[in-house]
Amino acid sequence: MDVALSQNGKRALRVFFCLLIVFLYAPIAILLIFSFNNSELPTFPLSGFTLHWYHQFITNPDLRAALETSALVAVLSSIGAVLLGVLASIALARRRFGGKAAVSALLLSPLVIPYVVFGISLLLFFHAAGIPRSILTVAIGHIVISLPYAILVLVPRLDQIDVALEEAAADLGASPLQTFRLIVLPLILPAVVSAFLIAFTTSFDEYAVASFVVGTRITFPVYLYSALRFPSQLPQVIAVAVVVMVISLVVVVSAEIGRRVAERRLSL
Amino acid sequence: MRLDLTTPGLLGLPLGWLAAFFVVPIAIVAAYSFDVYSLNPGPHGFALTAWHDFLHSSVYLRLFWKSVKLSLIVSAVVVALAYPVAYYLALSSTKRKYVLLLLLIAPFLTSYLLRVLAWKVILGNEGVLNSFFVWVGLRSPDHPISQLLYSRFAVMLVLVYVWVPFVALPIFVSLESLDRRLLEAACDLGASRRVAFLRVTLPLSLPGVIAAFLFVFIPTVGEFVTPSLVGGTSGYLYGNQIVDLFQTGFPDWETGSVLALFLLLVVAAFTGVFARFLQVRQVA
Repeated sequence: MDVALSQNGKRALRVFFCLLIVFLYAPIAILLIFSFNNSELPTFPLSGFTLHWYHQFITNPDLRAALETSALVAVLSSIGAVLLGVLASIALARRRFGGKAAVSALLLSPLVIPYVVFGISLLLFFHAAGIPRSILTVAIGHIVISLPYAILVLVPRLDQIDVALEEAAADLGASPLQTFRLIVLPLILPAVVSAFLIAFTTSFDEYAVASFVVGTRITFPVYLYSALRFPSQLPQVIAVAVVVMVISLVVVVSAEIGRRVAERRLSL
Repeated sequence: MRLDLTTPGLLGLPLGWLAAFFVVPIAIVAAYSFDVYSLNPGPHGFALTAWHDFLHSSVYLRLFWKSVKLSLIVSAVVVALAYPVAYYLALSSTKRKYVLLLLLIAPFLTSYLLRVLAWKVILGNEGVLNSFFVWVGLRSPDHPISQLLYSRFAVMLVLVYVWVPFVALPIFVSLESLDRRLLEAACDLGASRRVAFLRVTLPLSLPGVIAAFLFVFIPTVGEFVTPSLVGGTSGYLYGNQIVDLFQTGFPDWETGSVLALFLLLVVAAFTGVFARFLQVRQVA
């Protein structure tokens, strides 16, 4: 006998699961359909197939500039978050020191701050410090947001690695830096890559904080938000939406699969 | 450059970064809220005026309570939707459960704004749903169902939609790590499935449920993006009020800082109470 579920219960839950999947994917499917619809308004009945909106967005200079700005901010902030994350994670996973609980609480605390509060805090800070808002101010904020995610990915991976490997390297005369470069880094590389991707996608999609600290070069979410207020831009925004969604889905899903494969290989 | 791998060397940069760009900025918000800093020129000293006004203003507090209620409802609905699904994936010994889990979580990995946009397209007066009803003859074009968009309902629907995939994960993890022998023991000792669920499975999965609840509650209670896109006036929330105090033509940074700090304090207290369920402590 199955102790967790009766046959009927299993069937009911399977139906429920399917309904939830429909609920989750139907809006995305509707966006996909209307991105090819030959009409200014997303309304039924459908009025014919077109690639016009895709063409329009490819040739829209503002949109492309915003995408480029977001890509740049995402690269800067994910490099920053991963660097800081690796340093912090080694300390948390390998070192003993007083006040460790407090330090890790501080490092993870950006996870639980409402973004509206953090955005405003940064705005007031840059204002008080006389730092003009720019790509860099957005990247600075995104590093703070992504750092805890990087740590949450890296520390469990470091915990899996046998410390004896590092001790052996040290016994054989490797400096701490050599040990890190030749032993630790290759072993945590899958986690480093996935921390990088998480930070990248977080930054690329982040609106709330960016809306407060963005300068004249706006990021893609900020562009999108303002475009949502003009109905005439809706069809091409839908087209961009589809492209961005598909790309991010492919990247994240393949990264997750890649990480699992790599970690399985490394743990053999 | 020589990399310093001592403990202070490792922690210096990350902690320094958070001190400069996280702790100090929040301290500046506090300074504004106590009028130590101000947009207005002239001498300033410590004052509690803004806090006093806030705590005696029914407008702000009522708005805060409205946001808290909405966010609690959203979190509860999200957990209620995600729990059966996580239970199904974790305990029904379905083949390919990780593939199905990924299918469930994948929408969360796509753009937040774009998922809100999808609902704007669907719910609008001239949107997909209304035009569909007109097309099949259920409504006349002059009478669209206008409450669909720009309402409190729309805000809740979209927030539930956005957060369901995310929340399935912590619940799945807590159910998956459950020792099934406990359930078998319960059944051997005469418990029905229902009793075994209520007295074994549910209590043991509670940490995951509470973590899931918090992960929805914390970001939604200060939410301003979704309400501003699909909420209209009746979906106007505390987060929108904060933004408006900073970004409209007549900024009031003192009051805005009080509102922001109050929200932060409430969330921090909430997190503190439930922190032991968050399981991030394992990292330490």
